[in-house]
Amino acid sequence: MIPWDKVHGGMTHFPIALLLFSATCDFAAVAFRKMPFARGLRTVSYYGLIGAALGSLGAVTSGLALANGVWWGRGDLLFHQRFVWPAFGLLIGLAVWRLVVRDAMSRTGRCLYLVLMALASGCVAAAGYFGGELLLKGG
Amino acid sequence: MLTSLEIKGAVAAVTTSALLLSGTFTAAGTYRAHRRAGSDARPPTASELVTGRGRSLFFRSCAHCHGQDADGGEDAPSLRKLQISGSHMTLVIRSGIKGEMPSFAKTYTEQDTAAIVAYLKTLN
Ligand code: HEC
Repeated sequence: MIPWDKVHGGMTHFPIALLLFSATCDFAAVAFRKMPFARGLRTVSYYGLIGAALGSLGAVTSGLALANGVWWGRGDLLFHQRFVWPAFGLLIGLAVWRLVVRDAMSRTGRCLYLVLMALASGCVAAAGYFGGELLLKGG
Repeated sequence: MLTSLEIKGAVAAVTTSALLLSGTFTAAGTYRAHRRAGSDARPPTASELVTGRGRSLFFRSCAHCHGQDADGGEDAPSLRKLQISGSHMTLVIRSGIKGEMPSFAKTYTEQDTAAIVAYLKTLN
């Protein structure tokens, strides 16, 4: 038997950290847009986002295996999943969008992108928090 | 305004995301149905019923000393991978160990004791 709880615990941290890191770089790039390193920040955030999207596949798979395939559970599990699915959907969507658009963003595009990044980060943080609660309660 | 490249990207993003989510949910549902079918397909065998009963008796009477997983408590040893024979286990459970472990001769019938022993044997 594969210890899915340990696998999931190990696999979730990469996408969470990468997404939050990527979002931080995006916002920093806006704040320091006049600086020469703003371009570098955007590149870093790009790879962070792609990494997070790839990592989330493993996190979601191991989580579903751990929950025996229940994707809309009850109680604490549902609390976790209520945030996981929007976060996962947003993350994948944002990554695909950036893959297509790369750095050719209009002002409107960048604004929308940043709003959705903030939303995705919030969902991921909440999902991680309630996932941790599940762990502490041993459920 | 959004450029046409950005709109193309947004369509691709929404499509991929929706496909991946619905694919994930479908796969999860299939996995769940598969797991259910696996566990419900056949009724438990007689020996599974016995070890199941032994397991619940273990939780009732032994787990607080030997640990929920029988892997040892503060003062009592682990019962996993016991080297002693089944009849020796029966003897220990029925007579207890002076000053260490209570006797269960009055608590459990021979059948109950046999069920506990059967459960302990599954831990090897
Ligand atoms: C009050 C705590 C306590 C309870 C309750 C208890 N045990 Fe024990 N048990 C011990 C201790 C302590 C020892 C080790 C004694 C020694 O080695 O000197 C032991 C030893 C044993 C051994 C021998 C282990 C070996 O390596 O030879 C077996 C088998 C065993 N217990 C089974 C059980 C079962 C089955 C139950 C429940 C029906 C039970 N015990 C309940 C404290 C307990």
